[in-house]
Amino acid sequence: MTRIACLLLTNAPELPGALLQVALAHSPRVEEADAGCVYLDASGLQGLFGDEPHLAERLRDAAAAAGLAIRVGVAASRTGALAAARLGSGVTVVEPGGDAAALATAPLSLLALSEDLATRLARWGLCTLGELAALPTAGLFERAGAEGVRVQRLARGEDPRPLASWRPAPAFEESVECEWGLETLEPVVERLGELAARVCGRLGARGLAADGFEWVCRLAAGRAHEGALTPAVPLTEPAAVTGLLRLALEARPPRGIVLGLTLRVRPVRMAPAQESLTDPSRPSPRFLAATMNRLVALVGADRIGAPALLDSHRPDAVGLGTYAPPSPLGGEGRERDEVMRGGVVRGGVMRGGVVRGDANPILALRRLRPPAPAAVTLASGRPVAVRSSRLAGRIVAGVGPWRSSGDWWTAHPWLQDEWDVELADGTLCRLAHDGSAWHLAGIYD
Amino acid sequence: MAIPIESSPPPGWEREGIDGLLGLFPPGRLSEIVGPRSSGASSLLLALIARITTSRSGEGGGQVAFVDGMDALDPTSSAAAGADLSALLWVRCGGRLRVALSAADLLARCPGFALVVLDLDDLGPVPASAAIRLQRAVEGSDTILIVRSERHREGSPASLVLATRRLGPQWMGLRQLTRLAGLRSEVSISRSRLHALSPLGRGQEEESWTLDWTLNQ
Repeated sequence: MTRIACLLLTNAPELPGALLQVALAHSPRVEEADAGCVYLDASGLQGLFGDEPHLAERLRDAAAAAGLAIRVGVAASRTGALAAARLGSGVTVVEPGGDAAALATAPLSLLALSEDLATRLARWGLCTLGELAALPTAGLFERAGAEGVRVQRLARGEDPRPLASWRPAPAFEESVECEWGLETLEPVVERLGELAARVCGRLGARGLAADGFEWVCRLAAGRAHEGALTPAVPLTEPAAVTGLLRLALEARPPRGIVLGLTLRVRPVRMAPAQESLTDPSRPSPRFLAATMNRLVALVGADRIGAPALLDSHRPDAVGLGTYAPPSPLGGEGRERDEVMRGGVVRGGVMRGGVVRGDANPILALRRLRPPAPAAVTLASGRPVAVRSSRLAGRIVAGVGPWRSSGDWWTAHPWLQDEWDVELADGTLCRLAHDGSAWHLAGIYD
Repeated sequence: MAIPIESSPPPGWEREGIDGLLGLFPPGRLSEIVGPRSSGASSLLLALIARITTSRSGEGGGQVAFVDGMDALDPTSSAAAGADLSALLWVRCGGRLRVALSAADLLARCPGFALVVLDLDDLGPVPASAAIRLQRAVEGSDTILIVRSERHREGSPASLVLATRRLGPQWMGLRQLTRLAGLRSEVSISRSRLHALSPLGRGQEEESWTLDWTLNQ
């Protein structure tokens, strides 16, 4: 005989997690319904908690201990238990076989009716579940179809659907105690690698990947060293994870003898995908993640990325965006990846997004960053000679000035006159005057 | 006669003019572009980057890593040349030769990049030991590895060395110059260790190309 208890929150409906934990502490089969409502299988619990009124009171007391005020209803169906909890006071137990009678006075709004069916039942003048239950089933089927029959069975206290069991999300966390203490970094990385292998094995068994890592090194004298990293792509390979952890620990090693280690990962589900045979090859996410981390350690995080044009006419208005090669997952996966990686251009707004077009034989300008100060000799307002740390010589031809200015409405306005000049040795370069000094802005090549 | 795979250009590329030139760079080998300032070497690199990043329609082209020894890359020029900037990984090394060499080595060993460029400019030619290491890193992969520097060092293991030479600027204006229109340069094969270099299909006697680079205003 099925017996179901309904726990209905009367305060703090934003805390369903705590309510689920209370239910799970009393029954192995728990279903999360709407916000603030949890069902649990109360069958066969007499041996543990006594009869049903005792179980209901125990549930209410356990919730109160967790800071939750609830009403409890016990019946043979979910609808009956919900009606008992919602219409009763505190703890209400509907005796076996009494669901239909208990539901007779409950309003139709107790059921999650579709808008069409609710309108139809209201037009028929029905207000309570008892009135719905009393309708002839054949006639109801003719007028409202299978949905009408389904809600009538609910109104009669018949509930054929089993509970949809809720399980807490698995915690992907591994720990190890180091009996002798670890004084150097290498054994710490080795132990973390072992933890990573165990966690990755569990992730792989569930078709998941790790999107973030957190570690805690328990140090002597009661201190702790904590760290976290987010890989460029979700990972499941222990070797790649160990490599990232090694780099992170080398950058910020624990200060003291390590007595214990804990590694936690944030799991994400990865849709399986296969690369197209016709698409050009792309860097493997695993190799790319490891390479990017090494490059960041080599040149710095602010010096690597995809170039992006900023929405400004200021000379050399460029930024570095996140480098994210297309995902083989297609559009949806790509959007997910963009969200995952941030997809934001550092330092400004990208102008035009992806720049793509036909390849043209365009003359390239090699920028000097920062522009090299230059001493320029003028004749009749035109530069005739230039001397800088990069080059020097007589100017044999030149055009300009090309004047530009901007941001005059801000505290940092800019103004620039640019000249394209040819030196006597044939070098083509761009000179710039910002209103106060000359610079060598770039060399055409 | 069948064209060797190592020197055949990707499908969709023209076999004449600049396409034929760009198709010369062999995957899995080290190549060099050498030339003085204003000789069109960087323009040639940008053209190659543009072709590779947009070589396929639909899902996009190949991925390119650009190790910028002197922080000299101008993304505006790259975009004007037609490059897909989102397919370009830009590593700025701030004038540090050893950092640039290490970065290029890392990227050459990361499978999946269609092109890895090490732009050293006047940081100097790659030391012979580093060049051999780079050659080994890219061997057996589909990656084109190109080093751009001002001078070629003897003893380099590069399979292909292209030399660029400035022929002269092109100005607009009759009696008075009004605008810099572009640059004419010549690209020649300075050295080749490939058996059948030319994918032109109309003879392999052509060893230099005259190219007009247009200034994008």
